[in-house]
Amino acid sequence: MTSSDPDRLRELGRKLEDVQRRNVTGPKGPPPSQLGIAGRFATELVASLIAGGGLGWGLDWLCGHFGFHTRPVFLIVFFVLGAAAGIRNVMRAATEINAKMASKDLEK
Amino acid sequence: MAMTLTPMEQFEVKPLSGMDHPLFHIAGHPIYFTNQSLLMVIVVIVASLFLTLTVKPGRLVPTRGQSMAEASYEFVANMIHSATGEDGLKYFPFVFSLFIFVLFSNFLGMLPGSFTVTSQIAVTFSLACLVVLLVIVVGFMKHGIGFLKLFVPHAPWYLLILLIPIEVISFLTRPISLSVRLFANMLAGHTMLAVFAGFVVALGTAGGIFAGLAIAPMLLIVAIMLLELLVAFLQAYVFAILTCIYLNEALHLHDQH
Repeated sequence: MTSSDPDRLRELGRKLEDVQRRNVTGPKGPPPSQLGIAGRFATELVASLIAGGGLGWGLDWLCGHFGFHTRPVFLIVFFVLGAAAGIRNVMRAATEINAKMASKDLEK
Repeated sequence: MAMTLTPMEQFEVKPLSGMDHPLFHIAGHPIYFTNQSLLMVIVVIVASLFLTLTVKPGRLVPTRGQSMAEASYEFVANMIHSATGEDGLKYFPFVFSLFIFVLFSNFLGMLPGSFTVTSQIAVTFSLACLVVLLVIVVGFMKHGIGFLKLFVPHAPWYLLILLIPIEVISFLTRPISLSVRLFANMLAGHTMLAVFAGFVVALGTAGGIFAGLAIAPMLLIVAIMLLELLVAFLQAYVFAILTCIYLNEALHLHDQH
């Protein structure tokens, strides 16, 4: 028992280093699957359209409330902006996933 | 005998039998104690019991339960630390509660005859709104009015006219995409299980050679069940990590930590 103690200590030290190294390499976690990536992009696109359209619709409603008949100008404008925001989100998600994949490859 | 397949019936929110009259009214709307409310209460009780009963201080060798509780603690702490850095750990209680609630809802929803709380958009959207509200509050508390710089990318001023609305919409997208992802995954998985379960019943009652074929969808259900267990954990993880990423943005604005 006592003879193996230095070995066990060294083993423990190695494990500790492992944990510490893992803690500084930034966001980690399970690698995204193909289906996960596809689902992510799809929800980003659709959610942006909903958010943009909803915002435009709300602005139209608000303007109508105060007597300006803007309907459907804001709805159209913000729907298009929503589409742009969706593409922006997908680009952002893609760079994020790329960075993750790159760091995964580096680890190997 | 005609079997009607109703894979969506499992998602129906209805008052518990014996509790047909509303508990109280809010703005004229009756509030019932539904199967969903019951499951949420069960989730909270089970999660609390799991985290309190298993952990005893002063135990040198942890039991299995204690290891699991401690592992979940460390898992979330590591996640926050790697995504937001040191000062994000202040928000550990929030992220941990969120993670545990979603995780236990997903897992308890896997039990036969149970009800999946997270398959209701009302629940997931409320949770996502809570996250985004916290992000906004934290951002304004930490940076004051400077938090609005989050919506101003580095670009010439004539592009900003276009880019600022796009960034604002992109921010408003978060509660939607966050909630839809969790809700859609849970809904799709449980619907798929119910559809294949319907095949088993339909083939089984058809008799003759078809009855023997019923084993095929049965095996498929076992496989999907395993996949769904993975999805249940993964979606709870995704929900928590996205919360961390959003918090990180509110804490550190554009710069990386």
